[in-house]
Amino acid sequence: MSENIHNLRNIGISAHIDSGKTTLTERILYYTKRIFAVHEVKGKDGVGAKMDSMELEKERGITISSAATYCHWEGYNINIIDTPGHVDFTIEVERALRVLDGSILVLCGVGGVQSQSITVDRQMNRYRVPRLAFINKCDRAGANPYRVVEQLRTRLNHNPVLMQIPIGLEGRLSGVVDLVSMKAIYFEGRYGEIVKKGDIPPDLLEEARSKREELLDAASMFSDELTEAILEERVKEDLIHQAIRKGTLKRELTPVFLGSAYKNMGVQPVLDGVVRYLPSPLEIENRALDLDNEGKEVVLSADPGAPLVALAFKLEVTPYGQLTYLRIYQGSIRKGDELTNTRNKKKVKLGRLVRMHADEMEDIQEAGAGEIVALFGVDCYSGDTFTDGRVNYSLTSIFVPEPVISLAIEPEDHASSSKMSKALNRFAKEDPTFRAHVDAESGETIISGMGELHLEVYVERMKREFGARVRTGIPEVAYREAISKRAEFNYTHKKQTGGAGQFGRVAGFMEPAKGTRFEFVNQVKGGVIPTEFLPGVEKGFESCLERGLLVGFPVVGVRIVVNDGSFHPVDSSELAFRQAAIGAFRQAYMKAKPVILEPVMKVSIECPSEFQGNVMSSINQRRGLIMSSAEDGVFTTIEAKVPLAEMFGYATTLRSLTQGKAEFSMEFSRNAKVPEKLAEKIKEKLTGSKKGR
Amino acid sequence: MKKKLREISPWKILGTLSQKGPGPGNMGVIIARAGLGKTACLVHLGLEKLLGGEKIVHVSLEGTPDKILSYYDILFYDILKAAGNNNQEEISSLLQRNRVVLAYLNQSFQIERLKENLDNLSKQMDFVPDTLIVDGLEFGDAPREVFEEFQQIAQGIEAEIWFSALAHRHITEVNERGIPYPCNNIDELFALIAQLEPVGSGVVLKILKDHEVPVPPDASVLLDTKTLLPK
Repeated sequence: MSENIHNLRNIGISAHIDSGKTTLTERILYYTKRIFAVHEVKGKDGVGAKMDSMELEKERGITISSAATYCHWEGYNINIIDTPGHVDFTIEVERALRVLDGSILVLCGVGGVQSQSITVDRQMNRYRVPRLAFINKCDRAGANPYRVVEQLRTRLNHNPVLMQIPIGLEGRLSGVVDLVSMKAIYFEGRYGEIVKKGDIPPDLLEEARSKREELLDAASMFSDELTEAILEERVKEDLIHQAIRKGTLKRELTPVFLGSAYKNMGVQPVLDGVVRYLPSPLEIENRALDLDNEGKEVVLSADPGAPLVALAFKLEVTPYGQLTYLRIYQGSIRKGDELTNTRNKKKVKLGRLVRMHADEMEDIQEAGAGEIVALFGVDCYSGDTFTDGRVNYSLTSIFVPEPVISLAIEPEDHASSSKMSKALNRFAKEDPTFRAHVDAESGETIISGMGELHLEVYVERMKREFGARVRTGIPEVAYREAISKRAEFNYTHKKQTGGAGQFGRVAGFMEPAKGTRFEFVNQVKGGVIPTEFLPGVEKGFESCLERGLLVGFPVVGVRIVVNDGSFHPVDSSELAFRQAAIGAFRQAYMKAKPVILEPVMKVSIECPSEFQGNVMSSINQRRGLIMSSAEDGVFTTIEAKVPLAEMFGYATTLRSLTQGKAEFSMEFSRNAKVPEKLAEKIKEKLTGSKKGR
Repeated sequence: MKKKLREISPWKILGTLSQKGPGPGNMGVIIARAGLGKTACLVHLGLEKLLGGEKIVHVSLEGTPDKILSYYDILFYDILKAAGNNNQEEISSLLQRNRVVLAYLNQSFQIERLKENLDNLSKQMDFVPDTLIVDGLEFGDAPREVFEEFQQIAQGIEAEIWFSALAHRHITEVNERGIPYPCNNIDELFALIAQLEPVGSGVVLKILKDHEVPVPPDASVLLDTKTLLPK
């Protein structure tokens, strides 16, 4: 079994939007004989690429859900997760990276390292994912793979090494020269499926020799054996591959491949690169938290005989019920097994086990450590850990960013009402960055997410997949409240209205706490508040965070320290102390000088250098702060921090400012205090709207 | 607090000089061999200026903005640690407001572009720097005219400009005024010249030129090789 794991690769394909990763995946599936015809992302045949299985994805030409699929290449099994390129769907990328062992970073031969490539690369660093790079679109006018390699070095801090050089470029691209075997490779047949090797064209021989020298230099840093072989002039291909593999696994080397997936060139060598240089699950160390041992970290073993530990990393709704994507980290599962969900200790019987191939599936009987499979009929949330009951481990949860934008929605008719709630329930389970709640005051249903497009896609899916016709309001920024100074409280809750009375006194202080939503510190001494009532105190305070007293936004960053109190032997209860805590919070909150916080985004804009001034001006008008501007040839990348509230409709503004030649991406940076004047406006607006209701 | 933090800076030695630095419209340079910490030293200078309430533009001809901004974060953290302070948020946001990094990657630097970029900052952002820090300019290759143009920029916006200059172990030329390569033939363009030199237990930052007056004898400071903070 472990030999099989040796021959397994779990890889992701990620990059900037429109770099051609879905096209690359489509070609990979074709060459590995998983599909028998090629369809383009925005194909004229109306079929759409295999990995873009959601109707909406086909229509927009973007990848939203990261469909998983697997294929075989040269005796290896490869699981592929196709990940979205748009930053609004970053949680998908994050989840894919969590379960992957390696990745292909697709870069555009013309655009090079673009803003989203930087974001994705940062994520890959966070999950320590070894990667290789594929410079795509080398057939396009303006393609310059050498410039992209330089950008990999300077912008992403990689140590890139060209494994190939192109034969011709732009319209004249006809193949690649493999610098390890020193052979020219051409791709023939209708879809480039016939790989032919030949001699290097004479005019490229000198360049190939020089680039091979660079390759050997870089690879020899990871192998003394190769260094010796170079000195003794007896270099063998295997030695080079081993050294490159070692450097790649250490994430100190990035092998770079070239081609054009659309023109069917250079894809098969990438697959060779995946099996040669990217790690098997055995070569990656994964950790879990042992819940029976105070959450101590334990290293998992990819041994199929060990107790099962698996992560549900993605859920999808299908006509047959919930489909759960599972990565097995340790142990193995068989159809009919009983699994335990670590979160709620519920046991579920495994009815159907499948291997996914975009939206098609293949039934299998069992699967082992390292594999990515899908389960049917298992009710769970994304991020849940499953075991076979022999251990009580939880896989470290995937980093989930807080939603930054919200939108009010309402069903257009009665029939849509239940469909809408069914859809919301489903989406919240599928995507932890998507939230839905009913506003207690207005009664409106509010959905929250990571950006305008993120919510737009869910609204569309509601209509298409669930048949729910909904009306939406204007997107609103997810404001928060936070206290800015320490304030004391000493509150007694006392009620005597016949029957059993209520009594509880809590005293202490609240103070700002950075980097956390709520922290409760119990400093009660001498049993002045009995232990059994303390959970009530904590719950009471926590319940107040849902709606701040300043404007009504959720409260974040509060530390509550309770250090005194008193109780009554008969009239005190958990409920009484809960009420006392609520009273204490109300007593202290306004004294703690609350402020309104707004999400500030890190915005990255790429534009031709001549538009730098226009772009800077547009940032300035949006209360933005320019952090840096980097010129690289004719392109400039401007990094800025801008409040999200000012970024609505920015795509349109940017297009008109730059003749459509600029693009931007943004991600949440931090919550920052709203300027006084604006805070007043927000307060007025909210008070006004409340009065109006 | 800012005053306390400034006292930890290696650049507190500027306080011993005749005009406390090159002054508006003038240029300064720090000479050092590779690996001694020119960039870190310039970032410390940037931090010193920012803590003094000045606006700076950090021009990088080698490192990406991410790299430069990390330098600022790390060295600022070192200063805070040395000062025994943990509450960095307020000062840190002040630093961000008054600092812009301009990077010119892959030999894309042209002085005309810098002028345009500064012009954009001034017109579009109302951001006129008090100090310009230029890191990574090849002094050995750059013609004199480039420095004269920089001087014009300094005078035009009444800012100080600070450079880093790479010295080489094998080039030992020193002019009659004691200024080493690569500034030995252009030293009159600089109001202030400093040098980083390794010594047994650290690195010494010393002043070689202070306008047209003799350099005070105490114008040097021994720095820690890791943090480049005074030992």
